[in-house]
Amino acid sequence: MSDTASPGPAHATAPAPAPAPAAAHPPINLVIDGQAVTVPAGTNVLEAAKLVGTDISAFCYHPGLKVVAQCRQCLVTIEKNPKLQPSCQQTCGEGMVVHTKDAASTLARQQMLEFTLVNHPVDCPICDKAGECTLQKLYFENDNADSRIDTDKVHKAKAVDLGPTIVLDQERCILCSRCIRVCDEVAGQHQLEFSQRGDHEVLGTAPGAQLDNAYSLNTVDVCPVGALTSKDFRFTMRAWELDATPSVCNGCATGCNIEIQHKNGRAWRLVPRHNADVNEYWMCDEGRLTYHDLREERLAGATVDGLPSGWDRALKVASERIISALALAPTSVGVVLSAAHSNEDNFALAKLAKAWGAQVFVAVRPLVPARADGKLRVADVNPNAGGVMAIALALGLQTKPAHELADASVKVVVMLGDLLPNLGAAATSKLKELELIAIAAHERGPVAGARVALPAAAWAETSGTVTNAKGHVQRMHPAFPPPGQALAGWEAVVRLAQATGVKLVWAHARDVFKDMTAAVPAWSQLTWVREARPLALRFAGSRG
Amino acid sequence: MSNVDHDDNHDDAAFAAGGGPRVLSVSVASPRVRTIQVVRPGPADASYLNATSKGLAVTLKHFARNFFLPLRSKESRAKAGAPVDEKWKNEIETVQYPEEKVTYPERFRGLHRLTLRDDGAVRCVACMCCPTVCPAHCITIVPEESDSKGVEKRPAIFEIDELRCIACGLCVEACPCDAIRMDTGEHAKPVEDRSDAIETLQTMMARGVKSIAKQGGAGPTWRETAPGKHPHDFNR
Repeated sequence: MSDTASPGPAHATAPAPAPAPAAAHPPINLVIDGQAVTVPAGTNVLEAAKLVGTDISAFCYHPGLKVVAQCRQCLVTIEKNPKLQPSCQQTCGEGMVVHTKDAASTLARQQMLEFTLVNHPVDCPICDKAGECTLQKLYFENDNADSRIDTDKVHKAKAVDLGPTIVLDQERCILCSRCIRVCDEVAGQHQLEFSQRGDHEVLGTAPGAQLDNAYSLNTVDVCPVGALTSKDFRFTMRAWELDATPSVCNGCATGCNIEIQHKNGRAWRLVPRHNADVNEYWMCDEGRLTYHDLREERLAGATVDGLPSGWDRALKVASERIISALALAPTSVGVVLSAAHSNEDNFALAKLAKAWGAQVFVAVRPLVPARADGKLRVADVNPNAGGVMAIALALGLQTKPAHELADASVKVVVMLGDLLPNLGAAATSKLKELELIAIAAHERGPVAGARVALPAAAWAETSGTVTNAKGHVQRMHPAFPPPGQALAGWEAVVRLAQATGVKLVWAHARDVFKDMTAAVPAWSQLTWVREARPLALRFAGSRG
Repeated sequence: MSNVDHDDNHDDAAFAAGGGPRVLSVSVASPRVRTIQVVRPGPADASYLNATSKGLAVTLKHFARNFFLPLRSKESRAKAGAPVDEKWKNEIETVQYPEEKVTYPERFRGLHRLTLRDDGAVRCVACMCCPTVCPAHCITIVPEESDSKGVEKRPAIFEIDELRCIACGLCVEACPCDAIRMDTGEHAKPVEDRSDAIETLQTMMARGVKSIAKQGGAGPTWRETAPGKHPHDFNR
């Protein structure tokens, strides 16, 4: 519970974690390019070089995967060592003197790069990886010369359908085996393999088999070239056109740290962001595709009885219903908190419920036990169930599950989100008699039949925090503005409060957060960081 | 203030040296108020007769030359010092537009066109380099997957707003596939509606020609380049 609400530096690629030093091993001192550096025992030379600002780009090395040292793109000179050493595999030793910019190792890396490019098709104009390609980056930085090969390139299969999510271009593949290791180590399923030999060696699946696992799209992230491309993202946008905003996946209670990569007011893909405590470098395919929901069935304006109306009229109708019900009995108003909305939205609505003296319910999506795999995917598909409970507890509210709504003696229901669990036919018909006032991002389910629906921003469109299953309170930053007249959920609650004569005054999500952390003891140490400005990937270098 | 005073003093000095109009009197109370002699043109100049007839003479000279030059024989032209071959037309200043048009320089940047492959398909692979580099943001491309496995990607929509285009030619420079050119020599046409100024994939392909350019250009191979020029030529 000691986490901050900030997801670390908003943009910086998270530094690769050095292997945890055993207590018995003291830190190692070595010299890299004339600079002394001290690293924990077990760190490899490549990671140590990053500490002195030298990026020895490599194809096969990935900080989250096993070291295989097969691309030879990270060769360095180590004094008293007769041969060049792959810096990814070489662990740092006491008193080691490493040269990364000397003539021998620079030439060796140039030659390796030229060798890698011998059969590469260089079809960058149609390659999705262009702009974030490690091969492209290394070529521009180190080689930048015409090919010396005047024989034809070895041609291999293009646009190979590998499975439901991935297309493979065998020509572009530089045989680094990162994708094979992702399948083996992250997904735990050996579905990719090399076959043939020499310059005819190709990546592929076993005959008739498919690359089909819950983490398959991570292979696209780690691919240093454009050999593996995502069917979902393929040919939609160029990498350099996108802006990246840090956020947290709202697909389940794991809360994987992600980057929303967006352009023109919509998300085009979600990619994982490193967080050693939550998701390392990875996220699941299902979470990766949740961005599509940001554009489906959205509620862009306030509605009354299903017909468009302005905010003013909707608030007037809603407040009339609520005030008359409150006058009858405060408990005839039911408030439904949502485990799919942020802490701020729920805190605002919980405060309002407390001021009204209303009954409080919590809407939670049912568990999906089949999802749990002991890795990143868990059965709880609510991004913020823990946060809602913590808030209700801190405010001293008695909460009931939302399915008890039909039995309770409520006349007016103020609901956050679009989720009411399956209540059964009798209860559903009773629900129809209720005056339902929904604050939701999507016009579906109960929201479609609501008396009043107030449009709220979705998770990618507003500042807020969510609490994952481990209790980490993680910050989401707004990537683009919400559609139409939609406001942040807490802001809609504030308007509703003011319309019913309750004094709730917050001007910014930060203010809600401050009041919330003051109210919830476990979150008292959390701090709010400034909203992250989108990072233009045009200037961000390679990824993968 | 001191600067102004300085300039005034300078003017006074110029007046004193007789560099300006003749000063008839100077006000005692404020010396900057002066009466000067105004020089007006005389009746000969004021009528503009001289200048008009001079200009008319130039016009008549050109008229006579342009009128009689085509009628004169080669020998006669040679005698008059005029070009004897067809170049005499260059001597005539007037262009008979629209029957006759000035030929533009080779590098004139006209309306865009999209070049074609041998099978008539568009060469563009929707790499998005031109909308990226375009400073006027006038290019809109929506890519799609094509059936051809060799090319894979093509534009579903390719639009250029010729009203926004500043004809800088950066799109042509940026294109890695020789897919877009501005060598049509055509102007953007006048339109009644702004939307008519948007060039589409179809209109630009209709203007297109086939291109067989290789990606990256067909330059010399490394064996043809001078020895020692190649940064990697360490085995030579």
